[in-house]
Amino acid sequence: MTKWSSVAAVVVLVVGLSYAMRSGAQEDDLVMALAPRAEGLILARCSVCHSPDLITQQRLPKDRWVATVEKMTHWGAQLSPDEADVLVRFLSARYHPGAPDSLPSLDADVHKAEPLEQPQGQTGPLVGVAARGAGIFEHNCQACHGAGASGAFGPALAKNPILKHEDLFWETVLHGRGPMPAWGGALSHQDIADVHAWLLSR
Amino acid sequence: MSDSPHLSRRSLFRRVVEGLAGLALWRQAQPVSAQSVAETGPLTARVTRPYDAETPVREFTSFLTPAHRLFVRSHFGPPPQEALTEQNWKLTVGGLVERPQSFALKALRELEPVTVTSVLQCSGNGRAFHRPKVPGVQWERGAVGNVRWTGARLRDVLEGAGLRGHARHVQFQGADRPVVSSVPLFIRSIPLAKALHPDTLLAYEMNGRPLPLLHGAPLRVVTPGWMAESCVKWLTDITVRSDEAEGYYMQTAYRMPVTAIHPQSGLPGTSMAPVEAIVVKSVIASPEEGARVGPGPVTIQGVAWSGESPIAGVEVSCDDGQTWDSARLVGEDLPYAWRQWQFVWRPSQSGEVTIHCRATDVEGQVQPRVSPWNPSGFMWNGWDHVTVTVGR
Repeated sequence: MTKWSSVAAVVVLVVGLSYAMRSGAQEDDLVMALAPRAEGLILARCSVCHSPDLITQQRLPKDRWVATVEKMTHWGAQLSPDEADVLVRFLSARYHPGAPDSLPSLDADVHKAEPLEQPQGQTGPLVGVAARGAGIFEHNCQACHGAGASGAFGPALAKNPILKHEDLFWETVLHGRGPMPAWGGALSHQDIADVHAWLLSR
Repeated sequence: MSDSPHLSRRSLFRRVVEGLAGLALWRQAQPVSAQSVAETGPLTARVTRPYDAETPVREFTSFLTPAHRLFVRSHFGPPPQEALTEQNWKLTVGGLVERPQSFALKALRELEPVTVTSVLQCSGNGRAFHRPKVPGVQWERGAVGNVRWTGARLRDVLEGAGLRGHARHVQFQGADRPVVSSVPLFIRSIPLAKALHPDTLLAYEMNGRPLPLLHGAPLRVVTPGWMAESCVKWLTDITVRSDEAEGYYMQTAYRMPVTAIHPQSGLPGTSMAPVEAIVVKSVIASPEEGARVGPGPVTIQGVAWSGESPIAGVEVSCDDGQTWDSARLVGEDLPYAWRQWQFVWRPSQSGEVTIHCRATDVEGQVQPRVSPWNPSGFMWNGWDHVTVTVGR
């Protein structure tokens, strides 16, 4: 190899490496920016039917993530077009074919997941608003607990004794129990208080 | 990131990016879980809900796979237990039959019992090894087992009901239901010839005990030699039809390209046929991946199977497939069951060695180094391998 071709090879390598690092960095920034919202969606909308580990073990190109999210929406996943787009961008940035086999699990990030509707500047004790709770229940809980909280795959919650034990109710909703996923990353405390107020009214 | 013209250049640098994975992880400044997969007692969980789990291959040193170690796979999880009690559960047989009927479990037990030992294998077993990667549960080597099934012949039940002239397919549905009712039901069918085969069973026992809940209590279909998606669990409805079952799980899922396709050829790219017979395959149960062995003689052992055809031989290579030595077939030799094999290896040098195995069946089907790629990642049967360190 001549001196000049060696120099050229080194230049190509350095430029290539810095480009790759920059791409990697951009990818990371994207993942970080989307993660709280996307992970909240996974917990709230995908884990109605399956645990998030089914998602995090995939390593797919964007077209297959698009197809998968479309299939799930078609099957009843409650995702608006905007939410589906956030999810696809996050999943294809983080769980792409070149991503390492071992990534930090979503569970480790749960505490970081952003509540979908974050109340701002909240002070004083939470007061649940039953009228608001009805909609939150329908969107997030009804798939398992049935219309009117009358039970389906999950237990009936209307008149369920757990409503009288608020600590146990909050513990279950925030951290999950048995087949029920943890909702602490998906619902704000206000959301949970609203659902609780609505359930008491049933 | 957007789909910019950088994409193709970026893919050129993907390998470099992979090399920088450590950096990427560091940048995220988050704790890294050692393993994304939990070892839960006798099984390795792949999905916690609905529960999907595979058997660690070290367990494949035994001929029969015990129920608590057999892989678990379902689309929706088991039905509520009250649906399966003696009082509530029944099997109905309808469709193109002269006399639609229903059976309590007791009535099925009064039919002539038949016992068949057969391999049960998920079509996605080994999906994690396909490249490019494909979506689905990332099974590795353990979504398979060898079980002694006992039950009534499906044929006896169908003939009792009387098949009508244009009966061609037999459809199965279980009591399991999706969480959300807009998800398609798991409904499958098999062609009439397989349904009438004397070894095709409605099984109520595995390894001499009643079926456990996770494996389909009180009754499941067993199609010896065929992949497990035909072996519908928690069976409640048999419907005789003139055509294949409709719906996602028969018409879209569990289908393979009729001819091999290139990964970039687009989907589905060619005509697709239902997955049916198991293909020839072998795995190494011992030594385990990463084991320290030797320096004296090392017994390499494992199992080999091929759907409807007996195993003719298993070979072992310790030089990346350049030369092969025949293993000894041992233990029971039954149709549809797997065959155990052993090979005594005398390592000639210390250090890391990768051991490969490949099986051949009596029809001459040979386990390939790499299986044909397909969009759903079914039927992986590439050479199995473990890497061990030969010590001093």
